[in-house]
Amino acid sequence: MSAGYGQTRVLHGVSMSVGDGDVVALLGANGAGKTTTLRAITGGVRWDGIINFGGRSLHRATTEAIVRLGIAHVPEGRGVLTELTVEENLRLGAYLRRDGNGIAKDYDRVFGYFPILRERRKLSASTLSGGEQQMLALARALLMRPKLLLLDEPSLGLAPLVVRSIFDIIRAVNESDHVAVLLVEQNARIALDLSSRAYVLEVGRVAVEGESANLKNQESVRRSYLGY
Amino acid sequence: MQELLQQVLSGIASGGIYASLALALVLIYNAMGLVNFAQGEMAMFATFLAFTLLGRGVSYWVALPITIAIAFIGGIVIQRVVIRPVERAPVLTLVIVTLGLATLINGLAGFFFGYLQHPFPSPFSVETIDIFGAAASFQDLGVIGVSAVVLVLVYLLLQRTTLGLALRAAAHHPEASRLLGIRVSWMLALGWGLASAVGAVSGIMVAPILLLEPNMMQTVIIYAFAAAVLGGIESPLGAVIGGLIVGVTVNLAGAYLPGVGGDLQLAVAFAIIIAVLVVRPNGLLGRRAVRRA
Repeated sequence: MSAGYGQTRVLHGVSMSVGDGDVVALLGANGAGKTTTLRAITGGVRWDGIINFGGRSLHRATTEAIVRLGIAHVPEGRGVLTELTVEENLRLGAYLRRDGNGIAKDYDRVFGYFPILRERRKLSASTLSGGEQQMLALARALLMRPKLLLLDEPSLGLAPLVVRSIFDIIRAVNESDHVAVLLVEQNARIALDLSSRAYVLEVGRVAVEGESANLKNQESVRRSYLGY
Repeated sequence: MQELLQQVLSGIASGGIYASLALALVLIYNAMGLVNFAQGEMAMFATFLAFTLLGRGVSYWVALPITIAIAFIGGIVIQRVVIRPVERAPVLTLVIVTLGLATLINGLAGFFFGYLQHPFPSPFSVETIDIFGAAASFQDLGVIGVSAVVLVLVYLLLQRTTLGLALRAAAHHPEASRLLGIRVSWMLALGWGLASAVGAVSGIMVAPILLLEPNMMQTVIIYAFAAAVLGGIESPLGAVIGGLIVGVTVNLAGAYLPGVGGDLQLAVAFAIIIAVLVVRPNGLLGRRAVRRA
């Protein structure tokens, strides 16, 4: 798949796959095309080539239609609706669902993961801290009951302790619900810990791919691409 | 004292009408960051449709919902056909498009219905009832009642239903809303339909007072602008409060300020717009900047 904005090409023939229930990390420096890859999947940027989800082509599908297939995308900047309250944000997570009982159960569940959201549910989402907004974005995505979760830099700007707890929850959800995750991260170390496989993008191409455990141990890969 | 009360009451009645039209402006402003200059003309055209239905012998309380329904669909059609192709154009282009739409609808109304003034029936009697010594007309009370019902219904729709939630989300955060599966483009169209329907009510309410003709709404829309700006152009509740304040102020100014009379009332509305823009550009209830320090 290739993609870009206007005349500017950002991705030059990227090929990758995420298996059922897999956690896959997408790493690389700023401007490598990580965010663009996610945006292409949910139809936020023009692309050509092939993108399939569960055997269905996403070619020419609108963002709304793609989301309805079961892909939840927590975008760069978290996509929290700051004009609305915390509770309204969560309700919109369940916007496409009609199973009242299941929704109620999932509310309890995400409030179990993020008790702070229950306390703040009547407040405007704009009053939340960065970490709380990330929790809200993740909770809302979980309420969508996705088959595939696209996460764009969930650790960005957050305190290490908060990052740790958010990643623990991503892991828990993946294990209990078998939700596949495509995780874009600058923080390579934590992403490789969570994922089973990883791709490293370099200026719009896949430079390295493989098992996360292997990539972690290859000194040359770590030095050249992951920066630690 | 009784006269003052009477003037305030009739100011509230006009204020309810301005509030409805101002609310229509706010709904579209929120959806596309732009004032719809054709809002008044759309309301006028809908009023002519009601007038036509009434002329065919349809009873008032049947013609009213039919007209509102047609206005709703008409608003959606206008958004789909006229606005959507230029949705992403610069604001100035959109302003010109809505101004063109206003001119077009005004011309169509003249073409189909003529430029004569028509008395428009009111379902409310002109008799008065004594309230605290003031003679309140059923006309004023009826208009207040209808406006209140419309405003409460819109409030409930926006604040208490999932559709209203999706409408608000789509208006403020189109990109993030798409990622939640909300059909943003349709929500914008529904916003136009809703605004058009609310505006139609204001036209039908004001027509018995002003006489129906293609230019009927051109002063009313100025009052509605004043109301919307006063309330904070983004706030539906602000539009309602602004409408009431403008209605009462203009009415009192006309009655008591020497030299204002009926002719300079419009100047009062402009004075309000200018004063708000100078003193408090965000209006009474404009976007509250609640941010973490």
